Amino acid sequence: MSKSLPQLKIINRLHVFRAVQRMTQEQLAKEVGVTRATIVAIEGGGYNPSLELAFRIARYFRTDINTIFSIEEEIK
Amino acid sequence: MKRFDSILLKVFLYGLPALAALAIFAYLYSTGAVSHATGYAKFMNSIAGFVFAMWMTLSIYLSVRLMFSGPFREQVIARITFMRERDEREAILTGRATKATFLTSLAILIFLFCLSCIQVSIYRVPPERAINGKTGFVSLGLGFSLLEHEKQARPVDTIAKEDIFSYRGLPISSQSIILMLILWQILSYNYSMRRLIK
Repeated sequence: MSKSLPQLKIINRLHVFRAVQRMTQEQLAKEVGVTRATIVAIEGGGYNPSLELAFRIARYFRTDINTIFSIEEEIK
Repeated sequence: MKRFDSILLKVFLYGLPALAALAIFAYLYSTGAVSHATGYAKFMNSIAGFVFAMWMTLSIYLSVRLMFSGPFREQVIARITFMRERDEREAILTGRATKATFLTSLAILIFLFCLSCIQVSIYRVPPERAINGKTGFVSLGLGFSLLEHEKQARPVDTIAKEDIFSYRGLPISSQSIILMLILWQILSYNYSMRRLIK
């Protein structure tokens, strides 16, 4: 039996970055190559993006992954 | 090959209405509703037979291609089941919905297998054949036949008995079970996908 580890809650500030750039979810979805539903799910915390998508989003906003995506405990 | 399969698939699908019309005509011709006297009707009947034979051959070819060709299978079955993988999230959800469908289908198959093997019979025998004064019996059994005709060739009961309840495997035909499983797979996948997307 593997040791059960505490679940990490990943939070994101995607909506903040999007609002700063005055972008719609549809526009961002197009830019990073996903559907609008995926952006909605990421912003709502219902879906954690893959590393590749997280890097693509970070690169689009010209920032680090850590600035957009972080673990809740780190914030506290 | 891909283009060839695609053309054959279009012929198969777009030919369905024509096939249905010809099948109705052939049925009317065989029942005598259409006059056999005219050469035109006879010719049409021959055409209907030829088209039906071609369509059957085509359906077998396409179903074999579906089994062995991955890209063709993805192109056709993904469309039939409304499978969409436009991005990574949809790919993950598709995987989860497929897993749910696979597991429920397997559970149904195990259940159907149990039902098809179990044999239960509750019967009453005449008083002269009573054992220890008992005339009512419950008979339980397990049956497994590899081939369908073995199952059908069941020995005739030699004892004159009155069946109260008799269950000897699934009464549903194998075609119905296969069709039911196909429909189940499509419905289950779509239901799981909708639930996951919410």
